[in-house]
Amino acid sequence: MSSPRDQDMDDDFKRGNALSAAEYSLGLLEGEELLAAKGRLANDDGFAWRKVWWDNWFAPLTDQMPAAEPSPQVWERISAEIKLRPADDMPASGVVAANDGTESNVVDITARLRRWQWTAGLTGAAAAVLAAVAFVGEGTGPAPVPTATEAPQFASADPLVAQVPIGDTGLRLDVTYIPESDRLLVGAIGLTADGVHDHELWLVPEDGSALQSLGVVAPGEVRSFELTDEIVGNMGSGVNLVLTREPIGGKPEGEDAGPVVAEGTLTSV
Amino acid sequence: MVDGGSPKASDANADAAKAARERLRAQMVRLAEGDQSALEEVYEATRVKLFGICLRILGDRKEAEDALQDVYINLWQRAGSYDPSRASPISWLATFARNRAIDRLRTGKVRGGAVPVEEAAPLADEAPLADSLLIDAEKSAQIHTCLDTLDDRTAMHIRSAFFDGYTYAQLAERADVPLGTMKSWIRRGLQRLRACLEASE
Repeated sequence: MSSPRDQDMDDDFKRGNALSAAEYSLGLLEGEELLAAKGRLANDDGFAWRKVWWDNWFAPLTDQMPAAEPSPQVWERISAEIKLRPADDMPASGVVAANDGTESNVVDITARLRRWQWTAGLTGAAAAVLAAVAFVGEGTGPAPVPTATEAPQFASADPLVAQVPIGDTGLRLDVTYIPESDRLLVGAIGLTADGVHDHELWLVPEDGSALQSLGVVAPGEVRSFELTDEIVGNMGSGVNLVLTREPIGGKPEGEDAGPVVAEGTLTSV
Repeated sequence: MVDGGSPKASDANADAAKAARERLRAQMVRLAEGDQSALEEVYEATRVKLFGICLRILGDRKEAEDALQDVYINLWQRAGSYDPSRASPISWLATFARNRAIDRLRTGKVRGGAVPVEEAAPLADEAPLADSLLIDAEKSAQIHTCLDTLDDRTAMHIRSAFFDGYTYAQLAERADVPLGTMKSWIRRGLQRLRACLEASE
């Protein structure tokens, strides 16, 4: 921002990382800072530990919030809901039909996305289903990407690119990964923010582990994201990316991921 | 100012609190195993506290009831994600409820439909919280002690972030200072808070 960058600010900047767990715990962050913190929560055990540490210290402050009795209808609604849906088998909530005619696939992917977030791993079979579904939309984009039917061949120096067509809008994300830099360039030129949603890009690790957030895309801009080692280790030709529609700021912690609105595959050039 | 809770709970109250925590812990274990009756027991034991949190953050009964419903349904789905080695059940549940309420608050603001907290009717103590539901008297006293070591302005902003769910940008706007200034104040405060809390551990 346009604040004066005096010595204190520089110090604060250096401290920022150490304190972002506290900022995240309090709910101070928004937008890309929030997404960066969420990414660290998922990929950095030390950060996750520190976030819980702050949560535990802040939680007693809720004892200052006056208790209140909800109406009896609340339990009735909860009870009705869980009787219909056994634990771990609920359809993904908040699924919005995609505009590309692949609603059922979107629901399927979204349900799986959610499940991955709850279970540590993902079976090879589920990964295969996702890969199969991801190619349903192939050909609708301006530049179809090769299918990844073979084992990834990934020369470490080769940049990887993916084009992620957004429904039938003719718009797409251009994703470029340059191995030496450990950075990902995500171009969303032509996209405009609707003020209600953000779109979050995810890497689908080939080993079936949980999806990794690559961050919220910035409409109309090319943005460079620094990748963690965990994500870099999963980069390779043939790796799938999915784009989900989320509330502003990206997928809220503890929430289900939003609907998958686009997919793409990284290929080497 | 927010007072320091009731750190001087009697031994009897402390025992009751311990028993309540143990009961809740056992219920959470059964919940993780998919026992529906455990959810009702957890609801009975925690609803007034968690509803109080949702109501404080959202400032609207209807929104808060929707948030509360959301909290328990998600709890039912995700009870396995509670790690008893890291947090007491009530502490974890309180954090969970506050996070869900804040998510709803932010989404609501995007829609422009949420009632600003400051316009919400003052909340009566409809169901005063039993001591057995207080999170942790010692931790509670310590966080207040450490917040009190900060300058009043910083402590106020940190409290406001926690109790009102304000972001950096909202706090800066309300205080009419640049965003960077607010971040600088709060980060300095959090740094001191961390040192104070760590010294107490």
